[in-house]
Amino acid sequence: MRKSFISQNPSVLWFLLALSLFTLGVVMLSEVTGSNVISTSFVKTLGKTLCLCLVAIAMDVVWGYCGILSLGHFAFFGIGGYAIGMWLMYARTEAIVMDSLQAQVIPPTPQEISDAIGNQIFGVVGSSEFPLIWAFADGLFLQLLMVVLVPGVLALVFGWLAFRSRVTGVYLSILTQAMTLALSLYLFQNDSGLRGNNGLSGLQNIPGFEDTPQATISIVFFLASAVALGAGYVFFAWVVSGKMGSVIKGVRDNEARVRFLGYHVESYKLFVFTITAIISGIAGALYYPQAGIINPGEIAPIASIYLAVWVAIGGRGRLYGAVIGAAFVSLLSSWFTGGGAPDVNLGIYTIQWTDWWLVLLGVSFVAVTLFFPKGIGGLFDYLVRKPS
Amino acid sequence: MAPGCTKRFDPSRKPVFMRRFLVAIALFFCALTPVQAEDLQRILQAHAEEVANPSRRSVGVVLDDLVTSGLAQVPGFLENWADKNVWRSPDRLFFLGDVAGDVIEVTDLDSGETRSAPRAGFTQLKPNGGVRRLIGTALVQFQLADPDITRRESAVAAIARRPEAAQLAPLIASIDTETDERLRARKVQLANFLSARFAEAPQDRIDAIQSLAQDTSVEARSVLNQILQTEAGVGAAEPEGNIARLLDPMEAPDAYYAQLVEAGLAPARTGPAVIRAALEAHIDAGTVGGVPLAQLGTDAARERAYAALSKAGAVPPLVTEDTRDYALNTYVFYELYDEPNAEITAAAEAALASVEQRVAFAQAADLALDGLSLASIYFLAAIGLAITFGVMGVINMAHGEFIMMGAYTGYVVQLFVPDYTLSIMIALPLAFAVTFGAGVTMERLVIRHLYHRPLETLLATFGISIALQQLAKNIFGTQARPLTSPDWLDGAWVISDVVQISFIRIAIFVLALLFLALILFVLKRTRLGLEVRAVTQNPGMAASMGINPDRINMLTFGLGSGIAGIAGVAIGLYAKVTSEMGADYIVQSFMTVVVGGVGNVWGTLAGASLIGFLQKGIEWLNPSNTLAAQTYMILFIILFIQFRPKGIVALKGRAAAD
Amino acid sequence: MKLKLYSMATAALLGSTAMAAAECADPIKVGVLHSLSGTMAISETTLKDTMLMLIEQQNKAGGLLGCEIEAVVVDPASDWPLFAEKARELLTVHEVDVIFGNWTSVSRKSVLPVIEELNGLLFYPVQYEGEESSRNVFYTGAAPNQQAIPAVDYFLEELGVEKFALLGTDYVYPRTTNNILEQYLKDNGIAADDIFVNYTPFGHSDWATIVADVVALGEDGKQVGVISTINGDANIGFYKELAAAGVSADDIPVVAFSVGEEELSGLDTSNLVGHLAAWNYFQSAETDANAEFIAAWKEFAGEDRVTNDPMEAHYIGFNMWVNAATEAGTTDVDAVRSAMYGQEFPNLTGGTAVMLPNHHLAKPVLIGEITADGQFDIISKTEEVPGDAWTDFLPASKVLTSDWKDLGCGMYNIETETCVQLTSNY
Repeated sequence: MRKSFISQNPSVLWFLLALSLFTLGVVMLSEVTGSNVISTSFVKTLGKTLCLCLVAIAMDVVWGYCGILSLGHFAFFGIGGYAIGMWLMYARTEAIVMDSLQAQVIPPTPQEISDAIGNQIFGVVGSSEFPLIWAFADGLFLQLLMVVLVPGVLALVFGWLAFRSRVTGVYLSILTQAMTLALSLYLFQNDSGLRGNNGLSGLQNIPGFEDTPQATISIVFFLASAVALGAGYVFFAWVVSGKMGSVIKGVRDNEARVRFLGYHVESYKLFVFTITAIISGIAGALYYPQAGIINPGEIAPIASIYLAVWVAIGGRGRLYGAVIGAAFVSLLSSWFTGGGAPDVNLGIYTIQWTDWWLVLLGVSFVAVTLFFPKGIGGLFDYLVRKPS
Repeated sequence: MAPGCTKRFDPSRKPVFMRRFLVAIALFFCALTPVQAEDLQRILQAHAEEVANPSRRSVGVVLDDLVTSGLAQVPGFLENWADKNVWRSPDRLFFLGDVAGDVIEVTDLDSGETRSAPRAGFTQLKPNGGVRRLIGTALVQFQLADPDITRRESAVAAIARRPEAAQLAPLIASIDTETDERLRARKVQLANFLSARFAEAPQDRIDAIQSLAQDTSVEARSVLNQILQTEAGVGAAEPEGNIARLLDPMEAPDAYYAQLVEAGLAPARTGPAVIRAALEAHIDAGTVGGVPLAQLGTDAARERAYAALSKAGAVPPLVTEDTRDYALNTYVFYELYDEPNAEITAAAEAALASVEQRVAFAQAADLALDGLSLASIYFLAAIGLAITFGVMGVINMAHGEFIMMGAYTGYVVQLFVPDYTLSIMIALPLAFAVTFGAGVTMERLVIRHLYHRPLETLLATFGISIALQQLAKNIFGTQARPLTSPDWLDGAWVISDVVQISFIRIAIFVLALLFLALILFVLKRTRLGLEVRAVTQNPGMAASMGINPDRINMLTFGLGSGIAGIAGVAIGLYAKVTSEMGADYIVQSFMTVVVGGVGNVWGTLAGASLIGFLQKGIEWLNPSNTLAAQTYMILFIILFIQFRPKGIVALKGRAAAD
Repeated sequence: MKLKLYSMATAALLGSTAMAAAECADPIKVGVLHSLSGTMAISETTLKDTMLMLIEQQNKAGGLLGCEIEAVVVDPASDWPLFAEKARELLTVHEVDVIFGNWTSVSRKSVLPVIEELNGLLFYPVQYEGEESSRNVFYTGAAPNQQAIPAVDYFLEELGVEKFALLGTDYVYPRTTNNILEQYLKDNGIAADDIFVNYTPFGHSDWATIVADVVALGEDGKQVGVISTINGDANIGFYKELAAAGVSADDIPVVAFSVGEEELSGLDTSNLVGHLAAWNYFQSAETDANAEFIAAWKEFAGEDRVTNDPMEAHYIGFNMWVNAATEAGTTDVDAVRSAMYGQEFPNLTGGTAVMLPNHHLAKPVLIGEITADGQFDIISKTEEVPGDAWTDFLPASKVLTSDWKDLGCGMYNIETETCVQLTSNY
């Protein structure tokens, strides 16, 4: 089975090879080895990009392969980030609080410790009580479980309700968007217990590794992201190949026909929706410690739409397309908005890319949809398959 | 100058009654000295610092002196003072001033002489709002019977803001001579309010109070509530006086106990912090009360140590819940009316109960109006989408940007046409034209190619949406732009103090109705509508009947976009014009269409109504958090669609097929 | 002492020899970390321009320590994680000597860990909620006790307000400020029932119900006042609805903490005359320094531009930094930081701002009434109020103090006399 899977999908090997070379190259050129060609902040950017590629693959599977245009997968990504962020924040604050309480003559009671931690974390939003959702935040293992469970269960329940009622197509997209909006509005509230608009911050400081320089931490997370991306790629390649892959693609192309063939379409859809949500959550849990802060703005509906944009530009229905799209657009975007692109002087008007990048992105997106529905990945297909 | 006269202006702080007495005596003497001509400037100079920097708490003395001086210039001066027209010259005299560039035209307060001077060195007197209110009250007696109606109006407004017992008599006296019908009614109403609170005879007050039982205005309720003011207290037995109610301390034992502690009737609760501090103060060779320090990390151990300490007499005994409850039960907690007369308070209670019932009804009506208004805004924002999405099955994510485009059109028109009424009249059709054009262009260039790929339409139009949004930012900047409504749309339709709605919202409601009618008419009664319906139901068949589907799609899309443009002008008028305003409405609009049921104008109406009223209802349940209301509403919609995927007004038969 | 003498000597040396900037090995770099795109660009672009103007002026006046000052402008695009990334880039790639930037609290919280890790220096120019003290940040905007508390005092004392509506946008600044104010009002004898609190989302536009709720507060005959921490665009709808409901400043005064000259330019203010705002600066302040500043700004940025409070904060902050660096003879962060304490610089509104050991300024508080031409008429001005990092009105913060000069701690518990933590609470 496995053998045939790899031999059926040579692109998986090529991808893993490229990813390993890239990872190795970045590590060699980073500050850790002393070569300093790639700065720590750029290593972080690259690590984050790998996580975005992972969530893009998940999006590709659910949209490009299964035909569900979910505008909610970035919400699952964010939930993963929040889940890990809660532990990071709690553990870091606990260390600080224990240090300062140690100085007192009378040892602190558990209640005093909890109050002090709560005051540190929630003082900024005017409260010191721990909301119920922080119940597991004191243990890394349980909270890691939450990274998987919360997006998974949410996707399962939402998907079950939606697929059961045969909500499909555009309606489903709007419904997932509504879910994302509801979630981000909920998180925006200060009463949500996740610090409202401020979100969780200082996530780059890993508890227990306070003295480790960020250069090292960034490389560790970069490697972890690369491993996750590689594993995710192999996993999804396996999912979309074989018989299950055929059913999934069949659902995309003609749902009714697959149903008449006797397949339980809803189960397949639910499986794909949930598993991609879980992978998105994992990608988020790796992304936000590198970004340093997570807040509800990250989950806004627009982010999920951008995710769809990446996949579409990269090329739907091919996993490497999603990777290319996410990496290409997000890096290009930060190059343009970061002032990296030179201004274009038209004589009467100077185009500053910080102002015009989004216009360009929007227009090029329309162009891709209209003229290159297969995206950049399609171009790649063309180049690779032509000789053979 | 008589020495006695200057002396009474000495600004040394003496109790007011004392000052008044002195003033009276001084006035008497001054009246006997014929050489003395009273002079406003001198009074002001006596209080120079207070006049220059008045404060609500201390300006009363100045006002008293000014009013009792009886000078003819005083009312005029007070008005100018409140209007910030009084200036102080470099030699610290006060003048009326009128600034033009670097020159100030100053008018002497007493002689009325006018001269010009360089502006430098003159400082403007800026009494704050609190002081201006006091000035208004001081002016009441001069203005109540003034021939100028605006003065009388401002006097009445001043009474309404600061009702005082002394105003009752002059107010009643001025009613008979009042010529203006409306103002007269207002005076009668105010006199009634004042009598309810300040009339001499209890029966007069009760009569006035009973007449308020029908009045839902905020002012009437405030009169009743003022009469019913209570003061909470605690004592060993029921007090003398007009008791409003006795309270049960067990309802919130901790709060009431805190009240006891504050009154000095019980020792303070021994909270964790107190225990901790006591323990820290009694550390003895590594132990506290016999408990080793290292073990004090639990509440139980701490209480044990504290108990040991209190046994030794080092700290006061622990106040437990039992001692707290015992203390609470030995005392009486009560609320006492400020008003001693029980008959009056009873009448006021009865009147208030009747008013509050009316107010509850009125509030429900107001909430319904707000809901209606919100529904009409959602309807207007969504109806264009309902046409493109519902009739053509095209998702237009750029719909919000068409709304924005319409609003900016309104803004640009106002730049060129300064008359607001005219500019709105131009802006509405122009916004329609602009967005109609944009819609048609978009349909021709993009959407036409994607008719059979709805998900891709969604993405392509999203691309257009971000491009348009950024384009708007590049052209108009990120700053919100003003779109000002004409004067006749300012203000609100006030049914009562509780039920009111702004004219602009009424206008939007009317606009929504108009478009509902227009679209129904176009779809049901015109050739175009017939063709649109034909293309919707079966494009192939329609084409074979000689209808050009391309043309129909183009026109339908243009129509939907054009209405979005008009919605943009309306929304800009009541809220704001920014490049992101479209994004605020797009998700809501989609939900309106989906909840209502696609492909049906009535469905959109139903969807908008449901969402509008629901949101207001949830807001009413949780008034302190509007964000939570929005969250719950979206959750509700998600659930609603799960159970009714085709919306409220679901199409049946063939048209319902995907 | 020796060190100081030495550094003064170097300063003198540099000052005399290196007036020609060409001799300077590399220019002094000032990082500007303000969003130039996204939702916050509306406010922050102005501050970027302010910084460019100040740097240009300083270079015309001979630069700093004999070197040209070079502005390094980056765009964090209103994206909070990007603030951290860009701050790291400024400090490690561009190696800037100081950063002027940020507007929102969340962006500051995002940047804090990076600045502290790399020992950078940030000047933060916006009024904020306090409850924070970082060794590496100078807060040149107002703390709550320099804006909110004096404004409430004005309501209580001068306007005689007895019932308060605290309306805010749902984020950290209004939440914390309102928490402090609620406690402060209760301490001043206002009953809990007389305080109405409401939070709305960013950009909220449907204000009818809330305005009606506020009007209804007057039903027990008490004077009602509104304390508004409503942010940005949402103000436009709010003030329009207020005007439509006929709520005049004489009946229900509104004091806003986030509405300045810039925000009013999106509004027709003729119906809002008399409503209030509290800031440390108004464009209408009549001093020579202010007239000069406004003239320079209009020349630099355009005739129709207005000045506002955060611009003054940058003006003071930048000049203090220049003076401190000159005094220290170097732009080294720790040296400049020590030289900052006690720095004085004249305010644009008159008087002198002083940098305190808790990294806040002592500044006067102004209260202005909105006028028909979109400006503010200053009707009250206090003495200089020293900024307080930890509020005195919340029990958990009452025991905390910040003193980086002598105690060397930003979160010092005065009861237990220990330093709670050296990093800031982000």
